[in-house]
Amino acid sequence: MPEIILEVEDVHTYIGQHHILQGVSLHARADAVTVLLGRNGAGKTTTMRTIVGLLHPTQGAIRFAGRDIRRLPPYEIARLGIGYVPEGQGIFATLTVDENIRVAMLEEDAESRKRLEQIFALFPDLERFRHARAGSLSGGQKQMLSIARAFVNRNRLLLIDEPSKGLAPIIIDHLVTALRAMKQQATVLLVEQNFQVASALGDDFYLIDDGRTVHRGPMEALVHDHALKKRYLGI
Amino acid sequence: MKIALPTLLLGLLLPLAFIEPRVYLTLTVAGLAMGMLIFLVASGLTLIFGLMDVLNFAHGALFSWGAYIGFSVVLALNQRLGWAESPSVGLNALLLLLAILAAMLVAAGLGMVLERVIVRPVYGKHMFQILITLGATIVMEELIRIVWGPNDQVVPIPLTFQGSWDIADVIVLRFPIVAIVLGVAVYLGILLLLKLTRVGLIVRAGVENGEMVQVMGHNIYRYFTAVFAAGSALAALGGLMWAVFSQSVRPAMGGEHLIFAFIVVIIGGLGSVTGSVIGALMVGLAYNYVAFLVPKAAIGVNMAIMVLILLLRPTGLFGAGK
Amino acid sequence: MTSDGPSAAPTPVQASRILEREARFRQPTLYLRLALTAAFALAPVLLPSFQLMDLMLKIALFATLVASYDVVIGYTGIVSFGHAMFFGFGAYAVGLSLGKFGAPTYGYLALAFALGVLVSAALALVIGAFSLRVKALFFAMITLAFAEYALILAVQLSHLTGGEDGISPKLPGVFAVSFTAGKVLGVDVNGRVVTYYVVLVVCLALFLTMSRFVHSPLGRTLQAIRDNEQRAEALGYRTFIFQLISSSFGSVVAAVLGGCYAMWVRYVNPESALSIQIMLDVLLMVIIGGMGTLYGGIIGAAVLLTARTLLPDLRAVGTLMFPGSEILQRLTERWLLYFGILFILVVFFFPKGVIGTVREVLSRRNAAR
Repeated sequence: MPEIILEVEDVHTYIGQHHILQGVSLHARADAVTVLLGRNGAGKTTTMRTIVGLLHPTQGAIRFAGRDIRRLPPYEIARLGIGYVPEGQGIFATLTVDENIRVAMLEEDAESRKRLEQIFALFPDLERFRHARAGSLSGGQKQMLSIARAFVNRNRLLLIDEPSKGLAPIIIDHLVTALRAMKQQATVLLVEQNFQVASALGDDFYLIDDGRTVHRGPMEALVHDHALKKRYLGI
Repeated sequence: MKIALPTLLLGLLLPLAFIEPRVYLTLTVAGLAMGMLIFLVASGLTLIFGLMDVLNFAHGALFSWGAYIGFSVVLALNQRLGWAESPSVGLNALLLLLAILAAMLVAAGLGMVLERVIVRPVYGKHMFQILITLGATIVMEELIRIVWGPNDQVVPIPLTFQGSWDIADVIVLRFPIVAIVLGVAVYLGILLLLKLTRVGLIVRAGVENGEMVQVMGHNIYRYFTAVFAAGSALAALGGLMWAVFSQSVRPAMGGEHLIFAFIVVIIGGLGSVTGSVIGALMVGLAYNYVAFLVPKAAIGVNMAIMVLILLLRPTGLFGAGK
Repeated sequence: MTSDGPSAAPTPVQASRILEREARFRQPTLYLRLALTAAFALAPVLLPSFQLMDLMLKIALFATLVASYDVVIGYTGIVSFGHAMFFGFGAYAVGLSLGKFGAPTYGYLALAFALGVLVSAALALVIGAFSLRVKALFFAMITLAFAEYALILAVQLSHLTGGEDGISPKLPGVFAVSFTAGKVLGVDVNGRVVTYYVVLVVCLALFLTMSRFVHSPLGRTLQAIRDNEQRAEALGYRTFIFQLISSSFGSVVAAVLGGCYAMWVRYVNPESALSIQIMLDVLLMVIIGGMGTLYGGIIGAAVLLTARTLLPDLRAVGTLMFPGSEILQRLTERWLLYFGILFILVVFFFPKGVIGTVREVLSRRNAAR
C-alpha cells in the first residue's frame, strides 16, 4: 500500500457568498501524479487554492503527510514542503529570472543548488535569460520559471494549475518531458484541461463537478471510459 | 518615464530666464531642500502603498510626532548641556543625530503598533483603511496637543546649522544643504536596500504579488510591519528635519505636509520611490520659483502641476496603473 | 394593450418595485418618518427657545448634508474629502452675493444659489474627471488637497472673502431680522422663524430627491458598481461616468445646503464653512448613523450636534475637578481626542452604524420567522 501524502476530506469552501466547494475529497499517492479534471468553473483551482491556504475551508479536513494543515496560513503550509504553480504562472514580472528563483529558494545549500542545475538542464532557456526581466519572457518560458520556482525548494508536493494553458504544442511537449523527469522527485497534483497532457502524465484521476468529487480511479481506466469522458469533460 | 526628466530640466531652467542667476541659485538650493524634505514623507507613503495597498492617512501625524520627539531631545540636551549653543561642530552634529535617532525610533514603534492594531484588520478594504487611519490621525494629533500644548513652539537650532555660506557672492544656507545631502542619502539607501538585500528582494516581489510571496513560504505580514515601521520612521525624519528647517513645531504641521506628500505621490505615481523623488523635487522647486516671481500664486502651483501631470499621464509619472 | 395576459409578466425589478409600493403604507417606518417631520415642524411652536430652534435646524441641515455625503460614500463607495468644501462654496456664495458684492434682495439670493450650484457642479466634474478615471483612491487624495487649497484661498484672499473675519450677509424681505408678521399659534412670526421653515422645507425636498435618486435605476446601478466594480464594467456600464454623476449630484446638494446654512446663521467664515473639521464631523455622522442608509444622517447629526452643545459644560467640570494638573485639564478639554477614539471604535465595532445594524437585526428576525 503506497503512502498517501495528501488527504482532502469533504472540504467546503466559500468565496464571498458563493458556496464553491461543496464536498471535495481526494488522496494523492506519494511519488505519483494525481490529475484533477472537470469543466471550467467546477472548482479545480479553488481546490488548489484551498490546499495551499489562500482560501479557508469552512468544513472538512486537509492533511499533508499526516499533519492537519487546514488552519495554517499559506506561508507555513509552504514551509512544510508544498510548492504551488498557479494558473497564469504568478511570476514577478519586474524581477529578473534569477531574482524570481531566489525569492522561492528558502535555503541556499548544496541540495537546492543541485536542483537548480537540474532545472537549468531541463529548461536551458532559464539559464540563458537568467538576468533578464521575467516579464520579458515568452509564455512558455514564464511557465518554466514558475515550475522551476516551485521545484528548487525540494518540495515534497507540487500543485500545478493548468501548465499547458495558452502554450504552443511544441512547448507543451517540452513541458511534459520536463514534468515527467520531475515526477521522480516529488508528488504532483495537477489540474489540466488538455486531456492528452493529463493522460500522458497522470497516474490517478479525480473528476470534479459542481464543487464535488464525482469520480476517481487510475488514469488508464478513464482513458478507455468514453461515456464518463463525454459526460463530464465533453470529449 | 521618458517625459519626467525633460519636464524636470525644463522646469529647472525656464525660471532662469526671469530670475537673476545668483538669486536663482539660492532659490534652487531652497527648492531642492524643500523637495528632499517632502520626499522623506512621500517615500514612506509610497512604499507602504506599494507593498500593502494601504493609503496611510496617519502618515502626517507620524511626521508631527517625529518633529515633537526630536524637538524634545534638542530642547532637553540644550537646556542641560548647552549642546545647541555650543560652537563645537561635533556636539551640534551629535545633537541632531540623537534627535533624529529618537524621533525615528519612537515613530517606528508607533508605526508598528498602528499596523498591528489598526491597519491589519482592514487590509484590502480601502474605505475602512482611510477612515481608520484618519481616526488615528485625530487621536495622535490631539495627544500632541495634550503632551506638548496646543501652541507653536520655537526649536533651538544647533549653531553649526545656522546661517549661511557665502560662496562667490552666492548665499547658500547651511541647513538646506544638510537636508539635500540627507535626502539623497535616504533615496540611495532605499534603492540599495531594495536592490541588494534579501528583505528588499522579498518586498519587491510582494509589491507585485503578495499572494505568491506567501505561498513561497514567506510571512508577508512580518514584511508589512517592517515596511510600515520604516515608512513611519521616514515620516518622522521628515518631520524633524522640517522642524529644524522652519525652526518651529506645530501640532497641525503633519496634516499640511500629508497633503504635500499626496500631491507628490500622485505626480510620481503611487508605489514608485523614484517617482516620488522626482515629484518632490518638482513641487519644491516650482514652489520656490513661483513664490519669488508671483508670490500670490505659490500655494496653487502644486495643484497646477498635479492637474497637469494627471492630464498627461493619469497614473502619474512612474505609476503602474494597478 | 400589452399589459394584460400572462405573457406580460413583470421583470424582477418591476416585481420588486410593485412589492415595495404595496408595502409602502404598511411600513412602520413611514409613520416614524412622518412623526420626525412633524417634530421638526412643530419645534418652534412647542418649545419657543432660540437655542432649541437653532439645534433642531442644524440637525436638519446636517442630516441632509450627511445624506448627500452618503450618496457618495455609502451608495457609490467613493471617499471624498471635498464635501465640506462644496458646502462652503454654497455658504460663501450667499455671503458674497448678499453681503459683499450685491445687496439683500431676492434676486441676489437666487443668484447666490445659482452660482453656488454651478461652481460646485463644475469643480466636482473637473475633480472627478481627473481622479475617478484612474482609481477611486485618487479621489480621496485629490479632494483633500482641493479642500485644503480652498480653505487657504478663503483665508488669504481677504479683500474678496473677508479673510478669517468672514462675512455677515443681510437677508432680504421676509428673511430679514427686522421682519415681523404678528403671532400665529402664539409664535412670533419673524425673519428667523420664516427662515427656519423655508430651510426646513428645502431640506425635506432635498432629502426626498436623494431618496428618489438612490432608488432610481441610476441609484441601483451605483450600488451595483459599489458592490462589484468589475462585474458592473463587464455588464457594459461605464462605471466612471456613473461615479462622476453621483459625486457631482452629492456636491450640488451640499452647495445648496451650504447656502441654507449661511441664511440661517447669517455668517460665513473659513472655519465655520470650509474647515476640515466640518468634513470630519460629517464623516463621523455618516459612520454613526450607518453608511448606505440615507436616514442614518439624522441619527448621526442629532447625536453629534447635541453632544457638541453640551460640551462647554463638560469643560467647566474638568477645570473644577482637576484644578492643579495642566495635563489632566487638557485631557478634559481636548474633546477631539475622544472624537477620534470614538471614530476608530465605531469603524471597528459598529461599521454598519445605528440604522444599518437595526436593519440587519430586523431582516435577520424576519428571515428567522
